[in-house]
Amino acid sequence: MEIAPLIISLVYQALTAGAFLVLCSIGLMIVLGMMNIINLAHGEIMMIGAYVASLLVTEGLPFFLTLPFCFLVGVLVGLVIEFLFIRYLYSRILSALVLTWGLGLIIAQGALLIYGPFLPSIKIPFGSIEYGGFTYSIYQLFLIFVAALLVALIYFILQKTELGLKARATMQNPEIASTIGINKKKMFSITFAFGAGLAALAGGVLAPTTTIAPFMGTQFVAPAFITVVVGGATNIITGTLYSAGSLAAIRTPIGMYLGSFAGTVGLFFAALILIRLYPNGLASIRLFGRR
Amino acid sequence: MDQNKEEMTAKNEIVESDGSTRRTFIKGSLAVGAALAVPAIITSKSAKAASHSAAVKIGHLEDLSGNLAVYGVQKDHAAQLAVSEINAGLTLKGGPVGSGGLGAFGNVAAQPPLMGVGKGDLNYVNDGGGRSKEAVTFTEDDEILVNSGDDGILGRPVELINLDGQSNNNVWQQLTRKLIQGDKVDCLVAGFTSAEREAIRPIVDQFKQLYIYTNQYEGGVADANTFCTGAICEQQVIPVVDYMVKTFGPRIYTIAADYNFGQLTAAWTKATAPLVGGEIIEEEFVPLSVSDFSTSIARIQAAKPDWVFTLLVGSNQSNYYPQASAAGLEYPMASTVNMAQGYEHRRFSAPSLNRMHNCVNYIEEIPTKRNRDFVQRWYKMFPNDPYIGQMAQNTYFSIHMYAKAARLAGTTEQEAVKKALESGMSIEAPEGTVFMEPATHHAGHYIRLAVADAEHNVQFLREWPMITPWWLHRMGVNLVGKKEYKQYIPDEDPYFTMFGK
Repeated sequence: MEIAPLIISLVYQALTAGAFLVLCSIGLMIVLGMMNIINLAHGEIMMIGAYVASLLVTEGLPFFLTLPFCFLVGVLVGLVIEFLFIRYLYSRILSALVLTWGLGLIIAQGALLIYGPFLPSIKIPFGSIEYGGFTYSIYQLFLIFVAALLVALIYFILQKTELGLKARATMQNPEIASTIGINKKKMFSITFAFGAGLAALAGGVLAPTTTIAPFMGTQFVAPAFITVVVGGATNIITGTLYSAGSLAAIRTPIGMYLGSFAGTVGLFFAALILIRLYPNGLASIRLFGRR
Repeated sequence: MDQNKEEMTAKNEIVESDGSTRRTFIKGSLAVGAALAVPAIITSKSAKAASHSAAVKIGHLEDLSGNLAVYGVQKDHAAQLAVSEINAGLTLKGGPVGSGGLGAFGNVAAQPPLMGVGKGDLNYVNDGGGRSKEAVTFTEDDEILVNSGDDGILGRPVELINLDGQSNNNVWQQLTRKLIQGDKVDCLVAGFTSAEREAIRPIVDQFKQLYIYTNQYEGGVADANTFCTGAICEQQVIPVVDYMVKTFGPRIYTIAADYNFGQLTAAWTKATAPLVGGEIIEEEFVPLSVSDFSTSIARIQAAKPDWVFTLLVGSNQSNYYPQASAAGLEYPMASTVNMAQGYEHRRFSAPSLNRMHNCVNYIEEIPTKRNRDFVQRWYKMFPNDPYIGQMAQNTYFSIHMYAKAARLAGTTEQEAVKKALESGMSIEAPEGTVFMEPATHHAGHYIRLAVADAEHNVQFLREWPMITPWWLHRMGVNLVGKKEYKQYIPDEDPYFTMFGK
């Protein structure tokens, strides 16, 4: 077996796994990372995004045009959930956990009752390319690109816009932020809704690769939480990138040589070790000395 | 005097503030208890008197939500269809032996018919071409649904108690206890995954409940209370591996779900391969929660097999097919579960299941008249259902078979019905004749090798009118002579490692 194609295949697999982790955690990054709300309905919001995509594709809309709708529906759902439930729970993390878990169950079971055990699946767009005995799905490459794009977008919004500045200020210290004129409640709503919208968008983008069923959210929840927690809250963007990168980089060679079960075990082990070494998350590592 | 009396009272017994004592409390509770018991005594007497007009209860437990809902809902509908037919005074034909049919010499098409996506009716894409080959042909009875001459079962209506196991083994155990101890069902029909079956089988054995497991599985259950009507490895693995090795080559890559079913069926494949000249080059076991298959796909490409044997279970794992297809993986595939059970060829867009071969006892596309009638009956009752899978048909004929056994026994008393099921019963199911083998409590089935093409049309390349469940015989099981309550696994059979490397 030649080395070069094998290395390329391993890099592709690692990037794919990393992109999957980033896409799972992109909504949670905002909600858990910035607002410290444990949103156990995260998987179900991704499921809502996938459902929107599937329903619109069945109506005849081309797949890529459904993605803005996924985002918008996610934002709406986020606004509703925040308005009805979350705004009373900002200081009560455990209550938020229980409530969002219940919400997740209601959403999933509701989808089962309304739409049945599954929706028509979306054909994966594009084809594949072949190199050195391995074939690569072009859509997976597209997912890698989308993951990078979304992270860049969040960075831009948070760091370079005034809205992002206000959001960061509110998350850091809501009381002082409100004294300088930022509307605390509005900021919380907007931030949570944005997180939900991103989650739904990620669900829509991942929809062609999975079965679209009411309980599909469960496959995303564990990877999302692991990635965000290992990344830490110090800096949500670099945290998520570092953790997705390291977990994927550890999981891929193990999975390639020992099977996917060993890969999953390896991922959890790596998360365990990383959290033990860096309890505040990977983002708290200062690579180049103190600032 | 009074004071003395009071002291005496205080020493001998504790007096409550309202003047009652322990003695009066006991008397009181006995009276209350007796009063409460009276209605129970009276109603149980009348219940006994009325029992032969009380409903026959069939307990049905399947996953109607969760990861396995795509399989459980169809089985639930099958149970409802069967019970409604029994209550309408209908039954499937059957007796000690199958009805048989007329054998004749004739001209047939060179190819089997190609069946496509129908809705409520089967759709011939083409009927195999002109009559250009000579063959021995065999006709089956077309009408299998006949009058039972009975009203329900033995004059009693059948009540179906169907519960949702939620794809969660703990819930399965709780609900099984509820059905057996609470509802006191006369027959329990339950179970999709082998994990679910093994979770509830100890409870079934504890209460000696008559239990019918209708799903295909890895084989080996030798349990005096359990009757397995699904297909097993002798019927599904051996014929398909034989065909695939002869047609595509000896190098086999197995990718299986990582639990008892996947592991044991992979062991069967490994044992069968040397018998037909094949070789397992690599096995991979995937946890049920995994849905991202990029690494597995890369490993398959690195191994370069001749064909891939897939034993993937659950909605998460069936994502393998679109992902492999998008990644350009084009190996021929074989399975015992996919396509017939989870109808992947209808759920995923073509050509994800191109060249998928599956030895099935039932699949909706079977073109015989008796199956076409069954499909129409089904969609009349459930017009929005997406597919009728292998296990749904098994549940359907199993409940009819229970009704016939109860009529033969003349009672729904469970030990008597178990004996009736061991009497040597055949039933004319939509698939063909099914024979309940007495010693092993397993079913002999009509097996067809189904293959999907690039448009997901289905063709039946080979048919075996009856493959018997012989493995447990080789293990020395005879549940009529000696009762057992275990599951045999390939490790206990020296034949599995006797041949090949």
